[in-house]
Amino acid sequence: MKAAVGGYARARDLRHALELLSSADGMGRVLAGGQSLVAALNMRLTTGDILVDISALADCRGVADDGGTLRIGALTRHAEIGRDPLVRAHAPLLAEAVGHIAHAAIRNRGTIGGAIAHADPAAEFPACALALGAVMRVEGLDGPRDIPVEAFFRDTFETALAEGEILTAISVPKAAPGEVQVIQEVARRSGDYALAGLCLVRRAGRHRLALFSTGPKPMLATAAMAALDGGDTEAAISALKAEIDPPSDTQASGAYRRHLAGVLLRRAVARIEGGTR
Amino acid sequence: MTSLSSRDTALVDAAEPRVGFTVDGKPHTLRVPPTARLSEVLREGLGIEGVKVGCDAGDCGACTVILDGEAVCACLVPAARCDGVEIVTVEGLAEAGRPGRLQEAFWRRGAAQCGICTPGMLTSAEALLRRTASPTRADVEEALAGVLCRCTGYAKIVDAVLDCAADATTAPAVGAEVGAAVGARIDRLDGRAKVMGTDAFGADAWPEGTLLVRVVRSPHHHAAFALGDLDAWRRANPGVVAVLTASDIPGRNIHGVIPPLADQPVFAERVARFRGEAVAAIVGERAAIRALDLATFPVTWSALAAVLTPDDARRPDAPLVHETRAGNVLVRGLVRRGDAEAALSDADVVVEGAYTTGFVEHAYIEPEAGFARRVGDRIEVFACTQAPHMDRDDLAAIMALPPDAVRIIPSAVGGGFGSKLDLSLQPFVALAAWVTGRPAGVVYTRPESMASTTKRHPSAITVRIGAKADGTLHAMRFEGTFNTGAYASWGPTVANRVPVHASGPYLVPHYEARTAAIHTHTVPAGAFRGFGVPQAAVAQETLLDELADALGFDRLDFRIRNALTNGAPTVTGQVFAQGVGIRACFEALVPHWRERRAAARAFNATAGGPLRRGVGVAGMWYGCGNTSMSNPSTIRAGLGPDGRLVLHQGAVDIGQGSNTVVAQIFADALGFPVGQVALVGADTDLTPDAGKTSASRQTFVTGAAALRSGAALRETLLLRLNAGPDARLSLDGTMLRADDGRRDSASLDLAGLEPDAHGFVFAAEETFDPPTSPLDANGQGEPYAAFGFGAHLAEVEVDVELGRVRVLALICAHDVGRAVNPTLIEGQIEGGSAQGLGLALMEEYIPGRTENLHDYLIPTVGDMPRVTSILVEEADAHGPFGAKGIGEQVLIPTAPAILNAIRDATGVLIRDLPATPGKVHAALAAARAAGARP
Repeated sequence: MKAAVGGYARARDLRHALELLSSADGMGRVLAGGQSLVAALNMRLTTGDILVDISALADCRGVADDGGTLRIGALTRHAEIGRDPLVRAHAPLLAEAVGHIAHAAIRNRGTIGGAIAHADPAAEFPACALALGAVMRVEGLDGPRDIPVEAFFRDTFETALAEGEILTAISVPKAAPGEVQVIQEVARRSGDYALAGLCLVRRAGRHRLALFSTGPKPMLATAAMAALDGGDTEAAISALKAEIDPPSDTQASGAYRRHLAGVLLRRAVARIEGGTR
Repeated sequence: MTSLSSRDTALVDAAEPRVGFTVDGKPHTLRVPPTARLSEVLREGLGIEGVKVGCDAGDCGACTVILDGEAVCACLVPAARCDGVEIVTVEGLAEAGRPGRLQEAFWRRGAAQCGICTPGMLTSAEALLRRTASPTRADVEEALAGVLCRCTGYAKIVDAVLDCAADATTAPAVGAEVGAAVGARIDRLDGRAKVMGTDAFGADAWPEGTLLVRVVRSPHHHAAFALGDLDAWRRANPGVVAVLTASDIPGRNIHGVIPPLADQPVFAERVARFRGEAVAAIVGERAAIRALDLATFPVTWSALAAVLTPDDARRPDAPLVHETRAGNVLVRGLVRRGDAEAALSDADVVVEGAYTTGFVEHAYIEPEAGFARRVGDRIEVFACTQAPHMDRDDLAAIMALPPDAVRIIPSAVGGGFGSKLDLSLQPFVALAAWVTGRPAGVVYTRPESMASTTKRHPSAITVRIGAKADGTLHAMRFEGTFNTGAYASWGPTVANRVPVHASGPYLVPHYEARTAAIHTHTVPAGAFRGFGVPQAAVAQETLLDELADALGFDRLDFRIRNALTNGAPTVTGQVFAQGVGIRACFEALVPHWRERRAAARAFNATAGGPLRRGVGVAGMWYGCGNTSMSNPSTIRAGLGPDGRLVLHQGAVDIGQGSNTVVAQIFADALGFPVGQVALVGADTDLTPDAGKTSASRQTFVTGAAALRSGAALRETLLLRLNAGPDARLSLDGTMLRADDGRRDSASLDLAGLEPDAHGFVFAAEETFDPPTSPLDANGQGEPYAAFGFGAHLAEVEVDVELGRVRVLALICAHDVGRAVNPTLIEGQIEGGSAQGLGLALMEEYIPGRTENLHDYLIPTVGDMPRVTSILVEEADAHGPFGAKGIGEQVLIPTAPAILNAIRDATGVLIRDLPATPGKVHAALAAARAAGARP
């Protein structure tokens, strides 16, 4: 078959999945929704890998109210997140982001954990997690550990997940009263990956601004955040443009992406201040 | 599964999972290879070939099925995880073997053209309707956003889905009275199989045991290579039956659509001239061939200096792509009338500009596919094609067989748009089947299709146009350089068509247009809807706006005032006494132009914010058929002794509708109901040559042959029945009757008659070749028997901060001579303008970088505005019932109309296509820096 990987195994439960990964001698690839991984197989980026299918891990699917946080199972699908009442009430950024992700068929199968662990720098969910200050619950044979999102994304397609570990849940703090969360992006064609995008959260007067598609990984624009906290949008835009270094590719130049980030920030600020955009 | 003591145990345990699932209500249990895609298992394991595959990457949506109630891309779902699921495919939407409601609506609306995306569209829509009984238009667009269609422009698909909302109805089928088929919106005659998902495309209906072929291609733009020990490699790879290279070709290792310039090898020898060129083909058992790692194939590459652009290729020290073509020039074109240079100097206003466009990919949703089988000393090829007889003749030369030993059976063609005129996979499968004695097939991967088949020519165009102060066009000079890639393909046609058309549909007394097709080490550029004219129209039509502005004329009025008319000479000196409908097209746009411009101005004055609206127009003309060359079509028809009325229809229907249109024309000429016509073909063994499906010639040329066949058959029947010319013919079983209303009807039992070699008791075979004359050294002459004309209006909204352009509306007026089937013509307009929108705003193929459908963008349903079609009928004397071509005409004015609208909105004209957001933004920034006010 064209998807010429070394093998496939379906995990019964988390323990089994971790054992499968452990036995794969570093060649294991966790298969969640498959919307990025199976597509990549066609391009033979991953020949020789062993797919460990975790889709049967029922504990990893669904959204739970954990008091101050929402616990979102890694296997919760994009479409489910988009319509989940807890998410819509307490983490509306994620629900809004779903409308920007690819198209219906992809949203029906793709999972938030898959998107975050894949760490595509152009993807929406990693930046959302960063803007929300999420905590990643990661399981290994030695037990669970929590990784704050700020330490999670390392580089393009690279995360703090260690060999043999599986991302099982994402915990996001519930929105505080009066908190505003918005996502803004520009794509060349409707439904495509963003040329540039950002997530802006204002919580109790403090801002978190996460950029995507402007560098090798989603990043917090800390200088811009400080300027926003000080109420100076123009300074924030200048700071943002100075602290990102976007790449040029067939879709857009780095300079244009930098410009877009500035425009998007102005629009995001207008939105959270109740403007129309 | 047991405990895991080692990695191997895990693999063995997992090797062939057994899964059970339900498909279209039927339970199945089977072992599936561990990483098989659901799409593969449905197609190959279960034979459900209504599931189509277009990209294997989730980009095109052709493989969409409903899995536990939700639309999913079957290519992204590992079959191994489908245990216990319920799947619905297109084949499950039928009701008791007949089209279900949604399928019926698609058929009625003309929502299926080529039909390759139709299964994915239908299942996506079905999943929506099961969830939301009465969806809004926005709901439908959202649900279909991931399914690409290259033919329809999506409008009729969305309408068909809305027809199936709980409170809506599907219109009944349009019937056509005898003699009234022409002009009627009848359902496409070949539509049932398309909506049912049963049409056989190139990858479908392969015989049991068909071997699979994979092609080894050059990874370099230009490289020398040496093949290693092929026999040893074959022996080392069980399941590989044969390895084919240039030395295995029995005949000539050359093909080309223009025989005197044929230059493309089936397999490169020693040197490969573009990235993606074939050097070998591997034939074997399907599973083994799929599993092969082609990186192990014994070939050694030595990269050579490559020229990738005409500028590089024309440098004195540039390597020659072909030793015999000095300066890397394939061919030059020229049309000259009057004295353009002198006239420009006495024009009152002259505008000029330089323009560039890139490679554009056809992006049909069906990658090239097909199979061949050897039948004794003949070879039969079932594959997607637009030109079966050309394929036959070229393949015969490659195989060293007489042409009648080659049979080409076109599969259903999942989109062509010009690229399936050239041979692609046919020599590989023919050779494989010939050598192995077993059927052999190939399905190109999406990247392989994009890397190896022809593209629209990149262009670099400079134009100067001058006019008199009274608003009269006076002179034009045009210089166009076209990157024709590594091989000739249709480069000469582009170089010759463009100078004839670059004036646009206007009276230009002093004119000089020069073109050159330049070889580079890139994928061959060939035919793509318009043969270079769309690129030329971008330059000429946007400059016309600048000229009108400079002279102080309304932009549309300026065009009307200079539009060609009957009796006025074209730039080749051709004078049409009739049939020139461009003025009527422009005039049809006048009320829309006024209304929309006023609305755009009002919006810009009041909206504030970053959005600016603008309106643009552009005109076009396009000659139907080959340029100054014979291009006959022959149509045979007859009555069998069983009373069957058969039309041998050899004009390949690639979705545009020739199966229906040609039958409509034939039926009216004969005087029978179109529903009584049985179609045969296309098939080079069965149908006479109806030429290629290109150059907007099938309605015009083959339609005219069908008209003559119908009339000739009618005359024969009337004569035999001794009936008058107005008699009404009818068939009742085998009884043929003629009733002229004056006496008892005459009748004849066909059953008693002796059939001819084709099985007919009465038959007619007629040919039409449109009258043209050769062009002289200055390009003067009569290149076409008729032109089609059209004009588009585009309304856009530009976000001037982002540079993003949204097209809000397209209004398209086309002079079609006679609208034989208005639904099909609207389908051409909506689909062609979608391609024009892509050309204007988003499409650029870059070898090695945009070889898939997520880096190479074509419009989705979300990118398309409402398209309004206005059909103008300025009958042409040569056309059947006055009809002209429409296929290419529809794409040409869209891009310049959009660019003009962007300029209207912002003041900036983008001269380097596509007008991506980055380019639009940069142009706006430059204009601002220069003090303009966008």
